[in-house]
Amino acid sequence: MSLWNPFGSELRKTATLPAAWAGVLVALLGSAAITALNALTVRGAVAAGTPERLADTSPFETGFAAMPIIGVVGAVVIGVVVIGSEYTADRAESGGARQIATTLAATPHRPTLFIAKALIVLVFVAMTALVTIPGNIALARAIIGGAGIETVTPAEAVTRSLSTALYWALMGLIALSITTLTRSGVIPLVVLIANSSIVSFSLLLTNLTPLAHWLPDMAGRKLFGFPSEYVVQGGLDPVPGAMVMGGWALVLMVVAGIVFTRRDA
Amino acid sequence: MIQVDGLSKRYGSRAVLSDVTFQALPGRVTGFLGPNGAGKSSTLRILLGLDRPAAGSALIDGRPYRSLRHPLRTVGSMLDGSGAHRSRTARDHLAWVASSNGIPHRRVSEVLDQVGLADSGRTRVGRFSLGMGQRLGLAAALLGEPAALVLDEPVNGLDPEGIRWIRGLLRGHADAGGTVLLSSHLMSEVAEIADDLVVITAGRIVAAGSLADVTAGYATLEDAFFGLTDGRQGAAR
Repeated sequence: MSLWNPFGSELRKTATLPAAWAGVLVALLGSAAITALNALTVRGAVAAGTPERLADTSPFETGFAAMPIIGVVGAVVIGVVVIGSEYTADRAESGGARQIATTLAATPHRPTLFIAKALIVLVFVAMTALVTIPGNIALARAIIGGAGIETVTPAEAVTRSLSTALYWALMGLIALSITTLTRSGVIPLVVLIANSSIVSFSLLLTNLTPLAHWLPDMAGRKLFGFPSEYVVQGGLDPVPGAMVMGGWALVLMVVAGIVFTRRDA
Repeated sequence: MIQVDGLSKRYGSRAVLSDVTFQALPGRVTGFLGPNGAGKSSTLRILLGLDRPAAGSALIDGRPYRSLRHPLRTVGSMLDGSGAHRSRTARDHLAWVASSNGIPHRRVSEVLDQVGLADSGRTRVGRFSLGMGQRLGLAAALLGEPAALVLDEPVNGLDPEGIRWIRGLLRGHADAGGTVLLSSHLMSEVAEIADDLVVITAGRIVAAGSLADVTAGYATLEDAFFGLTDGRQGAAR
């Protein structure tokens, strides 16, 4: 079965789903608010002659600070709602129907459908990254102006931006896979968002066992490329870490894809 | 033509379908009648490739649903209500359904007109009444101009005018050579609309044939229904 019709259909479906845009907006506006706050702090500290209170005054680092948290939340929301919305029940008085029946009637070849959905997650996350990451760095530059001292080279900036987009994409696919297994967006949303923003359970786990460094979010964290003196020590280097995180995403997608294909709708 | 042959399905230890066999022919409206919980929806879900049977087959023109390349152009279906996400508009819902099967976009406006939702195309499905949801579900079923229609309780929630309208629509579809299979627990509705009847109760087919054959020996379809199903499960609503 050709992938084109299911992909086009899923793209249209997601583009007309308000919750998907909520994910994009969370990443974009949430991070912009943090960047503005950080950048004003940097500018204020430099103006007051106390830049040594800060780790650095780099516009890139200032604009980049929200990427590991708010950006990840946006990617998780996108990954969850692309499949979770299929299982949202309509009001009971309208029959309590779920859209998944319509979707599977339209595209009964389920592996194709699942791949189409994974591609949609990648498209939306990539689009979000494309606007959010350069946008925040530009915002930080605009606010800090000439006051800051850039410590990150353009080549590093590009690498770290692309690596961040990769981290988001993998988290989006992991969220998609977990939500496919749970058939409801609530639990994956709460767990994944809490873990990536409020309390990182995986980070806490590393205190108990070094194996926790192999959990997907911990494995991939060096992709953000923060200077090593500012991050928790230990764990996997960027490239092996990315491979481990990618392995998690792949395994979860294969499991979710098989379950999705075999179970009753 | 729809051919269901020896379908069985269990949920845990409970048999929901046992050796369900019947057919729905082109040019005829086939009513699939049974009390709530008798296995009507389970049968239709298997027919549409949503659920898998433990045994047996359900074929549309000789092919399983899952093997159809553009299924919506062969079979239009509606299972409980709109089948749409509540935060999307009716028009946006139909648009993604159309593009999934390469159906031209102009069909969206055509079916909205056809089901009487032309003025509600930009309304979010969450604001629809039950009857409007049914109409939207029907619009999606008609989108691909399919030869066969498979509808689960299509008159649910429709007002008298809507019921009269859908009766005309389905009659016209069968008269034009199409196959119509519709489930219902409302005997009076089925008696008005069906040429053939398939009666299911507790997962088993207890009668199948033309309306006249099935009701032979009974004064009314209602009497026939209770006679055939032993009046189980308070079927008459």
